[in-house]
Amino acid sequence: STFKTPVTILTTRVISVSGKVTDEKGIGLPGVSVQIKGTNIGAVTDGNGLYSLSVPDELASKNLTFSYLGYVSQDISIAGKKTINVQLKAGGDNALEDVVVIGYGTQKRVSITGSVSTIDGKNIENKPVLNAYQALQGEAPNLIIQQSNLNPGSDVTVNIRGVGTLGDNTPLVVVDGIVGGNLNTINPNDISSVSVLKDAGSAAIYGSRAANGVILITTKAGKLNQKTTVSYNGSYGLQDANVLVHKVPAWQNAYYKNESLVNSGLSPAYTPDQIQQLKDLGEGTWKIENLLRTAPQQSHNVNIAGGGEKSAFFVSAGYQDQESNFIGNGGDGANFGYQKYNLRLNQTNIIGKLRTNFILLYTKTRNKTNSVGDNNIFADANRVPANFNWQDENGNYLTNPFASQYNEYGVLEKGGFNQADNDEIFGSFNGQLNITKDLKLTGEFGGTLQNNGTFFRRLQVNYLPSGVYGDDRSVLDANSKSQLFNTKIYLEYGKKISDHEFKAQFGASSENYSQRGFQLQKTLTDQLLGTPTTGTIVDPINSNNSLAINSNSLLSLFGRLNYAFKDKYLLEATARYDASSKFAKGNRGSFFPSVSAGWLISQETFMQSIKNTVNSLKIRASYGVLGNQNVGNFQYQTTYFNYASAYGFNNIPVGGAGTLLSNRDLTWEKASTFNIGLDAGFFDNRLTATFEYFNKVTRDILQPRQDIPLIFGAATPDFNVAKVRSKGWEASLTYNLRGENVTQSFSVNVADNQNKLLQLSGGATEQIINQDVFQLLRRVGEPITQYYGYQTNGFFQNQSDVNNSPKIAGNAVVPGDVKFKDLNNDGIIDAKDKTVLGNPFPRYTFGFTYRLAVKGFDLQLFIQGVGKRETFLRGELVEPFHYGYGATVYEHMTDYWSPSNPDARYPIFANIGSPSNTNNWRTGSDLYKYDAAYARLKNVNIGYTLPQAMTSKAGISRLRVSLIGQNLFTLSKLKFIDPETSEFGNNLSTGSSSNSARQYPLPIFYGAGLDITF
Amino acid sequence: CKKLDIAPTDRFSDLTFWTVDVNVNNALNNNYSLLYNSSLFFEPEALSDNAYSPSGDLNLIASGNATSLTAKFAGDWASYYRTIKSVNIFLENVDQNKTLPQATIARMKAENQFMRAFALFNLSKWFGDVPLPDHDLTPEEAQVIPRTSKAAISDYIITQLEAALPNLPSKDQLPASENGRITKGAALALQMRTLLYQGNKMAEVVTVCEKLINNQATYGTYALTPNYSALFSDPNTNKTNSESILSLQYVPTVRTWQNFWDFAPRTVGGRVSAMAPTQELVDDYIMLNGRGIKEAGSGYLESNPYVNRDPRLTATVVYDRYSWVNPNNTVKTIYIKPGSDPVQPGLDEYSPGSQSASATGYYWRKYFDPIALSSFVSGNNLHLFRYAEVLLSYAEAKNSLGQMDAAVWAKTIGALRSRAGFTDAGALSFPSGDLTSVIRRERRAELAMEGLRVDDIRRWKVAETTMNGFAHGAKFATDQNVDGGYIRTQQRKFNPQRDYLWAVPSGEVGLNKNLTQNPGY
Repeated sequence: STFKTPVTILTTRVISVSGKVTDEKGIGLPGVSVQIKGTNIGAVTDGNGLYSLSVPDELASKNLTFSYLGYVSQDISIAGKKTINVQLKAGGDNALEDVVVIGYGTQKRVSITGSVSTIDGKNIENKPVLNAYQALQGEAPNLIIQQSNLNPGSDVTVNIRGVGTLGDNTPLVVVDGIVGGNLNTINPNDISSVSVLKDAGSAAIYGSRAANGVILITTKAGKLNQKTTVSYNGSYGLQDANVLVHKVPAWQNAYYKNESLVNSGLSPAYTPDQIQQLKDLGEGTWKIENLLRTAPQQSHNVNIAGGGEKSAFFVSAGYQDQESNFIGNGGDGANFGYQKYNLRLNQTNIIGKLRTNFILLYTKTRNKTNSVGDNNIFADANRVPANFNWQDENGNYLTNPFASQYNEYGVLEKGGFNQADNDEIFGSFNGQLNITKDLKLTGEFGGTLQNNGTFFRRLQVNYLPSGVYGDDRSVLDANSKSQLFNTKIYLEYGKKISDHEFKAQFGASSENYSQRGFQLQKTLTDQLLGTPTTGTIVDPINSNNSLAINSNSLLSLFGRLNYAFKDKYLLEATARYDASSKFAKGNRGSFFPSVSAGWLISQETFMQSIKNTVNSLKIRASYGVLGNQNVGNFQYQTTYFNYASAYGFNNIPVGGAGTLLSNRDLTWEKASTFNIGLDAGFFDNRLTATFEYFNKVTRDILQPRQDIPLIFGAATPDFNVAKVRSKGWEASLTYNLRGENVTQSFSVNVADNQNKLLQLSGGATEQIINQDVFQLLRRVGEPITQYYGYQTNGFFQNQSDVNNSPKIAGNAVVPGDVKFKDLNNDGIIDAKDKTVLGNPFPRYTFGFTYRLAVKGFDLQLFIQGVGKRETFLRGELVEPFHYGYGATVYEHMTDYWSPSNPDARYPIFANIGSPSNTNNWRTGSDLYKYDAAYARLKNVNIGYTLPQAMTSKAGISRLRVSLIGQNLFTLSKLKFIDPETSEFGNNLSTGSSSNSARQYPLPIFYGAGLDITF
Repeated sequence: CKKLDIAPTDRFSDLTFWTVDVNVNNALNNNYSLLYNSSLFFEPEALSDNAYSPSGDLNLIASGNATSLTAKFAGDWASYYRTIKSVNIFLENVDQNKTLPQATIARMKAENQFMRAFALFNLSKWFGDVPLPDHDLTPEEAQVIPRTSKAAISDYIITQLEAALPNLPSKDQLPASENGRITKGAALALQMRTLLYQGNKMAEVVTVCEKLINNQATYGTYALTPNYSALFSDPNTNKTNSESILSLQYVPTVRTWQNFWDFAPRTVGGRVSAMAPTQELVDDYIMLNGRGIKEAGSGYLESNPYVNRDPRLTATVVYDRYSWVNPNNTVKTIYIKPGSDPVQPGLDEYSPGSQSASATGYYWRKYFDPIALSSFVSGNNLHLFRYAEVLLSYAEAKNSLGQMDAAVWAKTIGALRSRAGFTDAGALSFPSGDLTSVIRRERRAELAMEGLRVDDIRRWKVAETTMNGFAHGAKFATDQNVDGGYIRTQQRKFNPQRDYLWAVPSGEVGLNKNLTQNPGY
């Protein structure tokens, strides 16, 4: 229904204007905003496209602006008319007319000269995820989000445009203008829009923190002159953890074990009778599936939004709960899982020339996990043959001769838990004073207070026939408080003089952070209560007071200049000066400038002839220097720390003192970034496209020197030594099709990035790092971290093949063992034959969204994936009878060599310590390599909105029900583990431990949702 | 606005650290903690014919399949050079302290010299010629430092210890509160081991041993502890005895080691069997009558193999139907023979392919700590040098110089056997003939599970025999027709042209062009 803005200017005459807004086919368009230009006075069209508006007499000469997403806005002069009917033309996404949030302000999309991707809130809501990063995965090109652990509450890793430094690649997050917001805890439903600043042109205003890109989050706010609405949206569903690995039956396992022993010259372990016995006995319950269950996940959000002429508000409350797929609760309290509670207030006031905005957010999260660690759970479940059971008929937890003494079923049900309870308060207080029409002063103060608590308790679980877990019965309480404050003030001046438009902005900012924490651990506590009892020990090593204060501070000046000529030629310059406490005096300050320019080619006269086909065409470029100060707080200072119980004399402990070596000369990493972009709109902007190319060189990268041998005797401190180039491109394309009854939209984004190490450190041009059984390589001129080792060349097929092929010296191989390529053709396999085997960083990341609306029905499909990635996997899911630790063979390993299977995936079975096992599995080859490219149907949402005529009788303006599916289907060559899991964080650190394929399985979600607006 | 000069509140800067006496003591203690550790202590057993490790790098090295990439090589190498760095930092900075007495500082320096010498001893033992950082290396020096010959390293160790000796107290001068600190006795014991391992310095070995045996007024009073087993297991004897010359110091509940968790049978609290005694070790324990099991008249019965044996066998190795004495003095029988345990599944039973049951059919008893916390978190000391080793080295040196006689026998092998519980004259009296193998066997039995066997087979150059062919376990093999029914655990090979030295870690060779690789890697 139509509503009028409460214009209460009683002393003036008011005229009433009404009319109908239609689309190109003459169909009434609901929801179109009709606004008196330059004021807050406006209305919205009803379901039939009708509107009515009261216009004060003195505004009667103004224009009315009609705007609607997906259509070209129109301005029409009121000029005393009582009726104004308008036909709007479809105009793509209106993308070029949008206002985009940028650093310290907003800008029209059309005048942006840097590289900014935006994600609308509607792409984020309705996804059954608790972490906003998960909701952003695949939504913007080169916003690369990877998840190495899928257990609820696990953090994700984020890269913008790949890896630009050997150090920390985490982008800067700014929430509602305040630096350092927490995207892991923000409620995805509270996000109104996301801007991803990717290049120097857009990000240089954040100076020293901008080299990895910036993610700007704007949360939902009330609007002036808006009817008060109450909305609820919620979903409920079940997650099914999809286990992809399957043990062979125990009798087959025994058969393979014999084969492995006999192939190694040892006696078989099982007689044919014993194998028959195993076959007769059948299968047991000792497998991962039985440690997992189907778990519920739900989300409920309520918000109230509204606004008058002088104030607007938005209040929301959210509750999200994702239970873990692990069985049990650790013996006490709620099931394992992650819960989040959000409460948000956003209040805007106009007080004369002053506009204020207050945002206050409280978030509480609770994450309860098991006490032993997922890795151990999967390892123990994986390594035992399938005939064993977790429990006997009386519910006792059993042990067996194949695993360590643990029974993880018992650990999950009774062995204790680790519970994190985090409280977070975020506030942002912003005042804008319009000193004159052109001059505006903004002051902002905000920050985040965090209080993170951990409670850990291990409970004793006894096993049959013997064995025990958790008999240390430890209880640990830890607490950490931190505060981050950000204060800034800036002045903006904008003026348009005929064809020249200027804008200037200048400001100062201060940020400071401090954190302290304490913890207390006791062991041998009371089994039932966890309280101290006879024999309880306070653990001095794991207990500490809050004497250690982590602290840093940053003072900055920043400015921006914009110039536009005839709305065609755009020029922008930004600069920032930062001084940081993380560096010694003299190295503290640094200057980060950028320039960018844009040319709206479509505005040129020579383009007018094809204006109907090419509606808009813009080319833009930027260059600038960005900084990265992701270094430790006191890292430039050599320090000595005392610690307890270093050694003992006469049975009495004595303290010790260790040293942290430093480098006083530490200074900023600097990234010189070039970006060129093209934005175009075709066919009435139904088709919009953006293409970008970037090239970034980061120098003075901080890292330990890699050219120092272990003989040095200590970890070297960081030096400004390395240099990396990161370059790539990204493209996005959206096509909107609006018919009479059917509306469709296709949106695709795809991106690539490639990094290259330009300098490692000192004279070193190469670093080879042992990562368990294989190696990682850092080599100047190549991608920064690659898998390295021998290239396999099939298998030795027979003895003459063995005799005639190059081999590793001194290792007696047999037919069925892996053959390696003699790359230098010297007749022998040695270190000189090693080569690059793969690149673990995702390339060709992509996202595809399809939207369909037919009358009341709507459908959204979202596919996300990685076009190219290699991963190396190891452990008991890769190597049969793994390294003597595992006792199992999995179905996917049974494709092994035999004379009748000469092109098998795996070599013959052989025991640890045998020449065959050493040749095949201990030598670090691409035998361990898997193709981890994938495409995943990430999200499906099918909705139906009940006709308003029906719902409005119940006072409901919108009621939508939906079916939701998440992670429904994955296409990948890697079949026995989720291809997304990676051993690397966002920096491809060579210190990452290898991937043992023991990740929590990908949960598949099926559920239903409900949206109601009153 | 907040100031930009921020310093940590819980740490010292290099300007103030060394001037505070307590800090200097703490720095010294930190270096003690870097001296050695429980894994370095026990693991070498699995690199010898005493034990078998079913998994990991120990398995690879023992089977002759190690390469220059083997992680343990780099790990051990790094660990010793870390110790040396910490010692060098101490030696170069301690003089900043002006408040501690000069004698105290001199003693602390001598202790640090010992620590550096011990690290160098271990490095050259495994790697041969190694770089010798006699001062705190800069990163640039670490990139070019060449290898020093093994002989020169040995000379340096002897000289350093000689310089340290006057500044170290004797054991008898130590107040009780300093039990565990480095003494004159420890410096001599390290000299002894360094000289003995060179093989051609037996006269010098005799000289050093005689200081420890005959000049105890100067160098400290040492003697054999009456009860062999108590020396390792009894929490009181382990800490207060006159046999220990230098022990890694632990303190119950706060500074502990836990390796025994993976040595003990499952039914008495063990986790997995990470290292198990071999049949070859078991077979080398003599009979109570002094004869080897294969000697005529030994009385050895293959069907009842563990009776009338050297009592140190029972103090060291757990075998089938072993009477395991629990901390509360109750006794638990350990059933290892497949199918013999009345409680099924029998977790200690030999089960091929099992990770947690012993792969050899034997477990360990030596160093069992009855007051350990759960999961064998023990505070018992680990003896790096003990008087028994001095007696054995003395016997070996005297014998190789042709000076073995009844008197030397009586105070060395005789004394050790007598302490072990032998009473039969056939075991105690001075035998005739070549005693080389008798002394070697005695050394193996006495020092089993103390990490020294691997040193011995390497310095005697017998590893190509002892580390070649199958390592065996008890007579529980599925196929009783192969190797007499003794379990084949692993086929080992030893290349004498290569395996007497470990590979210099491959990464190190790449970063220092003056660093050469050992032959064969």
